[in-house]
Amino acid sequence: MTTATISTQKPGGGLKRLVERYPFLPALLIALVLLALNGLYQPRSISFIGITGLVKTYLALMMLAIAQTYVVYAGDIDLSVGAIVSLVNVVIVVLMEKMGGSGFSVVAALGVGLLTGLACGIVNGIVVAALRLQAIVATFATSIFFTGLALYVMPVAGTPAPAAFWRTYGGRFFEIPFVFYAAILLAIVLYVLARTRLATQLLAVGDDAQAAFQSGLPVTRIRIQGYALCGLFAALAAFCITGDTASGDPLVGGKMTLFSVAAVVLGGSALSGGFGTVVGSIIGALIIGLINSLVFFVGTPSEWQNLVQGLAILIALMAGVLVGRRARA
Amino acid sequence: MSKLIMRGVSKAYGATLALRRGDLTVEAGEVHVLIGSNGSGKSTLCKVLAGSVRPDGGEILIDGKPVTITGPHAAREHGIGIFYQELSLAGHRTVAENICLPDMPGGIFVDRKALEIRAARYIALFETVAGEGFSAEAVVENLRADQRQLVEIMKALATEAPITIFDEPTSALDRAQVDRFFDILRGLKADGRSIIFISHRMDEIFAIGDRVTVIRDGETVGTENIADTNPAAVIRLMVGGQDELAAGASAPPAAATDRKAAVLKAENFSGKGFANVSFEVAKGEILGFGGLHGQGQSAVLRAIFGANLAAGGTITLGGSAFTPSNPRTAIRRGLAYVSGDRSRDGIIQGRPIIENATPIHYLRQKLQLARPAALAARVKPALEALHTKFGGLSHPINSLSGGNQQKIVIARWLIDRPDVLLLDDPTKGIDLSAKADLFSLIRKLAEEGMGIVLYSSEDAELLNNADRILVFNGGSVRRELTGADRTRYNLYQAAYEAA
Repeated sequence: MTTATISTQKPGGGLKRLVERYPFLPALLIALVLLALNGLYQPRSISFIGITGLVKTYLALMMLAIAQTYVVYAGDIDLSVGAIVSLVNVVIVVLMEKMGGSGFSVVAALGVGLLTGLACGIVNGIVVAALRLQAIVATFATSIFFTGLALYVMPVAGTPAPAAFWRTYGGRFFEIPFVFYAAILLAIVLYVLARTRLATQLLAVGDDAQAAFQSGLPVTRIRIQGYALCGLFAALAAFCITGDTASGDPLVGGKMTLFSVAAVVLGGSALSGGFGTVVGSIIGALIIGLINSLVFFVGTPSEWQNLVQGLAILIALMAGVLVGRRARA
Repeated sequence: MSKLIMRGVSKAYGATLALRRGDLTVEAGEVHVLIGSNGSGKSTLCKVLAGSVRPDGGEILIDGKPVTITGPHAAREHGIGIFYQELSLAGHRTVAENICLPDMPGGIFVDRKALEIRAARYIALFETVAGEGFSAEAVVENLRADQRQLVEIMKALATEAPITIFDEPTSALDRAQVDRFFDILRGLKADGRSIIFISHRMDEIFAIGDRVTVIRDGETVGTENIADTNPAAVIRLMVGGQDELAAGASAPPAAATDRKAAVLKAENFSGKGFANVSFEVAKGEILGFGGLHGQGQSAVLRAIFGANLAAGGTITLGGSAFTPSNPRTAIRRGLAYVSGDRSRDGIIQGRPIIENATPIHYLRQKLQLARPAALAARVKPALEALHTKFGGLSHPINSLSGGNQQKIVIARWLIDRPDVLLLDDPTKGIDLSAKADLFSLIRKLAEEGMGIVLYSSEDAELLNNADRILVFNGGSVRRELTGADRTRYNLYQAAYEAA
C-alpha cells in the first residue's frame, strides 16, 4: 500500500503518466532528433518541399503501419499487408487502364480497390480468428496467395497509371500539396476511428482474449473486424504507392510488410496486444523514412546503406525501449 | 416460483468429472451461498450458468422457463452477471472502460459521456474505501490487487443482472471494503435481485448469506437456511461420511518416534503470497501442506526451490544455511521439485522420453557428452520403479498419458537421489492407478531416508499419505495436524476459519 503512495508522489510521476497516456512520446522524440539530423546534413530536407517529398514517399508506409496497428491491437499480426498492397495496386492500375483513364474510371477503380483490400482482410480474419490458425503462419500463407493473384492480374511490372491519377496525388490545390489534404483527412478518420466501440474492443481482446470472452464480447467477430480494417488501410496504402510510383507492380508491397511491423513497434505498441496507438505507428513509419533519407544524406556508400539502415533501426528501437522504460519506472 | 433452478448439471473435462450432479435453487431477493472444498465443482457450476463453460447435461430454468445458455453473451441476455474469481479485466484499459466493457454505451461510436456517467455510478459506491489512486481514468494494470478486485465487482454490478454470481469476490479486500460490499449486496437483495455468493470465509458466509448450498465431489449434498445452521454443521456437511477415511492404515505413525535431524528447515520464510512460514522436515518424513487452493502452499515450495523470489526468512538444508536464488543451485544442493503443472514446469514438449528423463542427471553430474546406451541403463531402472508404461526411450513424451508423463518427470529426480523432494500438487490430471503408484513410491523414498514435502489440493491424498499436515490459510500456517488429529473435519475447520 505504501509503495503505491510513494510512486505517485515521485518526481517522475508526471512524466510516467504522460508516457502512459501518450505512449508514442519516446518515438516522437526520436523522430524529432532524426529530423534535426536530416536538417543538419541536408538543410533543404527540412524545407517545405523536402517535407512534402518525405510525406509523399512514406504516406504509403504510414497507411500500412496504421493497418498493422489495428491487428496488433488485438494481439494478432498480419504478414500479408504487403501482398494486399501489391494486389490492390495492380487491380486499380489494370482497371484504370481498361476503363480509359478518365476521372470516373479512377474513382471506380479506387472503389474496387477498397473492396479488394476489404475482402483480403476478411479472408485473413476468417482464417486466423474463425479457423483458429496461427496468425503468423496463416497470414504468411495468404500473402503468398494474394501475391499469386496479383501476378495473375499483372504478370510483369510496368503498366503505367493514368496521368489523371498520379498528377492528382503529386499535385497541388490552392498551393498546398494534395498529400497534405490526404494527411488531414487521414487524421480526421483516425480521430473518429479511435472513438469507435471496435477500437476499445480490439484492445480489450488483445489484453486478455479469455477475459474479453468471459465479459461477453464476440471475440471472433472483433478479430475479423480488425483484419477487415487492416485490409482497408492496406488498400489506402496501395493508392498512395500507386500515386507515388505511377505504375503497377505485382511485387511492390512485399518488402513493406515487416517495415509496417517495425513501425508499429517503434511507435510504442505492444506486439502482444492490448496496448498501443495509431499515432505512434505513424511516427514509427516516419522514423523509418527519416532513417532512410538520413543514411542517404550522410553520404553512405550504396553498398553500405542497408547495413547502416538496419543498425539505425535497431538503435531507434533500443532508444524507444530505454526512454519508455525510464519514464515508466 | 424460484428465480433460478439448476438441476442435474454435469460437466467433464476429458476424463475428469468436474461436476457430477449440480443442483441449485435460488429465490429472488436472497443471497445464496455456495460452498465446497477444492475442486468440488462450485466454480464449474457458476461458469456453466455464466456461459463460459458448456454443460454436458442437466437443465436450467429461469423464472420457470427452461433456457439454454450458449455463451457469456447469451447468459447476459438471460439476465446473469458474474464476478470471476480470476478476474476478467483488460489491464491496459481504464477503470471506466472495464466497468462498461461487456456493454459499451453508444452504437458504432462509444458514447464517452454515457460511459463515464455509468462508470461513475458504480465507482461512487466504493468511493470511501477504494483507496488512493483509484479513479475512473486509472489504468487497471497500475491498481493494487484489492482495487482490481473492486473493479471486477463494479463490472459485475454494472451488468444490473437479476441474477449475479460472485465467485470469491472478497479474497483480496480489506475489512472496510468487505463491509461496504456487503451493504451494497443487502441493497440489491432488498430490490429483489438474486445473488449467488461463493466464499471460503465462514464469518462472511454467516454475515451475508440467507441460504447455503453445499457441494461435495461434484454433487450438491444439501441446502440449509443460514439461520438454522452453524459453521460446524456446514463443515460436517462438506466432509460428509468421509471422516473415517482419513488417516487410514496406509500412513504409519512414523515421524513422532524417530525425530531425526531435520533435512529441511524453514524459519519465518516470507515471499509473495506467504508470510512467516516455519516448519521442519525430518529424514524419512512426509510433511503435508493442506488447506484451500492458493493459500501460499505452492508459493512456499516454489520459493524454496528458487523458482519464485523469496523476501525473507532462513532456509536450512541438511544442517547448513541455504539461500534460494534459482533452481540450478537448489538442484545442486539436493532439492527436487515436481509440479502438477507439467506443461509449465515439467516436460520438454515433443522431445524423446530419454531427454525428458535426464536433464537433472546432466546437471548434477556436470555431463557434457553421454552415450545414449549409458544413459538408458540409468533411466530404465528409474522408470521401472514407477511402473511407467512407454514404447521406447526415443518416443516423444507427448505420446504418453498424463500419468506416465508425470512418472517420467519424477524419474528424472531418481537417477541422482535428492535429499528433499518438494511435491507441488503432483497428481493434477493423472489417473487413479498412476496416483497409487506415485504414492507408494513416495512412501518408499521416505523410508529410504528422503525428506518429502507434499502439497495436494485433494484432501484425501493428503490425509492418506502425510505424516503431519500444516494447514495453510491466507498465506500462513494456521494449524498443524498430527496423529489422530489428521481428519477431514479438522482440515476443513482450519482451512475455512476467518483468515
